[in-house]
Amino acid sequence: MKTNLRTLFLLCNRGVRQFAFSSFVASLAIAMAGGLFLGTWKIKEGAQEAFNLSSGGFDAVLGARGSKLQLILNAVFHLEASPGNLKWEQYEVLKNTPGVKEAYPLAVGDNFMGYRLVGTLSSLFHDHEWKEGVKYKVQSGGRYFSDNAKEALVGNFVANKLNLKIGDTFNPYHGLTYREDSKHDEIYVVVGILEATGTPSDKVIWIPIKGIQLMEGHASEYATSVSAVLVKLKGAAGFTLEMKYNKQGNQATFAWPIAATLAQFFDRLVWFEKVLEWIAYLVGLVAGLIILAILRNSLNERKREFAILRCLGASRGFIINVVLGQSLIISMLGALGSLLIYFIMSGVASYFIRDQTGVLLDPFSIDFTFIYVFFVILFLGLISALPPAFLAYRVDISKNLRPLA
Amino acid sequence: MSLLRVNQLKKSYVSADGESTRVVDVDDFILKDSEFCGMRGESGSGKTTFLHLLAGILSPDSGEIELMGKNLRSLSHSERDGLRASVLGYVFQTFNLLQGFTSLENLKIAMSFAGSTDHEIAIDLLGRVGLSKRLHYYPHQLSIGQQQRVALARALVNKPKLVLADEPTGNLDPSNASKAIELLHELCLEANSALLVVSHDEGVIQGFDRQVDWGIINHPANTSEQKNLIRK
Repeated sequence: MKTNLRTLFLLCNRGVRQFAFSSFVASLAIAMAGGLFLGTWKIKEGAQEAFNLSSGGFDAVLGARGSKLQLILNAVFHLEASPGNLKWEQYEVLKNTPGVKEAYPLAVGDNFMGYRLVGTLSSLFHDHEWKEGVKYKVQSGGRYFSDNAKEALVGNFVANKLNLKIGDTFNPYHGLTYREDSKHDEIYVVVGILEATGTPSDKVIWIPIKGIQLMEGHASEYATSVSAVLVKLKGAAGFTLEMKYNKQGNQATFAWPIAATLAQFFDRLVWFEKVLEWIAYLVGLVAGLIILAILRNSLNERKREFAILRCLGASRGFIINVVLGQSLIISMLGALGSLLIYFIMSGVASYFIRDQTGVLLDPFSIDFTFIYVFFVILFLGLISALPPAFLAYRVDISKNLRPLA
Repeated sequence: MSLLRVNQLKKSYVSADGESTRVVDVDDFILKDSEFCGMRGESGSGKTTFLHLLAGILSPDSGEIELMGKNLRSLSHSERDGLRASVLGYVFQTFNLLQGFTSLENLKIAMSFAGSTDHEIAIDLLGRVGLSKRLHYYPHQLSIGQQQRVALARALVNKPKLVLADEPTGNLDPSNASKAIELLHELCLEANSALLVVSHDEGVIQGFDRQVDWGIINHPANTSEQKNLIRK
């Protein structure tokens, strides 16, 4: 039995090598199908999970009347433009509302080398837990900014990108995108670099809110307005506040809960996910057909080989196993390739997501899905090999052993 | 004691135009243990079909084949496969070596079906046929004569009780042909195997103590009465 297994492996392996190019093409097609399938499945899932974890420990955002999603993208993920401003008094009212545990005003509108300057209160770094039980930390030698000084606390990602160090100075630029001719005269000094958090906080430069409000060249109403308020709630205050701002009022939007709004956003991507999923199915089907074609063609060339093996005493079952085994090797290479392709896709995706949002995806996390996809690929490979295996089973030994003309 | 006994064996083929042609019609044929037999016959007269029937890779229309006391008809497919692996050795005119495998692998594969794992036997046997330096050569890297020697070694590697050789010198030049036949005799003697060689080459058949005319034992087109006349 052991000897037969060794012979079986030898024959399968040699069969793959004999048709190396077409086997490689089939494995590649399987790898692409599997990789695409895993990519559409896992990257979106991972991104959604990472975005949910990146809400920085806040439950809601209060901002100008408009889209909840835009508000969250702007205030939490530092993407897109602010939908408008709130008055400072509105922040004060919210802060003192029962059920609001923490509230931090944000002001945006400037950048340095394309990275946003976000104005807030230093209490955000002193008091707030961006993850349960975890507060922001500065790298050694640094400190948080003072609310009344022209000081900056630089997100870890930005510090690395711009090579900013404690003591460095810079001039902010007006607007959210970098333009050389929009330089402000104020000079800020870097007083601290934040430890990496894997959240959007890493990709902005934090300065005191007064800095943005009173920046030279800003309109006078900036001085008493905020772009948004990040809110942490306690109890069931969310329902009351949503009713107050969204249903009864018309001045502001209360985006709560953040996770639900993000889920709606990801739901909008379902069509894209479906398209990729169908492409993956089609590539998978093509891969299966390639396996079928390879084995069918190789069968024509291997009929004599199978007849010789039968004459040497190989059973019909053994011949079937040779064909199935050959398919299994191709499928296994394809399945391993699909993991490789997935990791490359995931790595590239996580790089861009990190670059654009600061959200950190773990591109190499492995779970049960991978095992599932691996075995589904092997199973489909075996299914594709069944028709040629059946033909191999029926090879006419006598006819195929006769001398060639 | 008879190793092989054939009785009233018949096999027909249906041609493309639907006509049935009988190619094997053998009343009686016996081969004893360790006996060597040369069977002469014209090309295309059904000798290969006869050997395929004896090896159990073709089923007869009627009649019996007993190999080592076992009726091939009564055996299941897997039992017949097992018998072929352990009791039979087959030498083909075109050698039928497995092209993608080395000389040694060709022998090892044959051994695996008989459940044998002692690969030293294969190495020794290839040395015995003069190919100790060609163990890892693929068939296309060997000369025709060397390929035939690999085929002989493969047929004998499991020490079969019966070796069937179908025109074993058909693809060889006269010098290689006589060497191959000598080698086949020697190897079968050493393995104590019976040998049945079918050939149209009179030179090959002349070397056998027992010689049989295929045209006499097989007369598919004639009635049994005519066969009796021929025998007389």
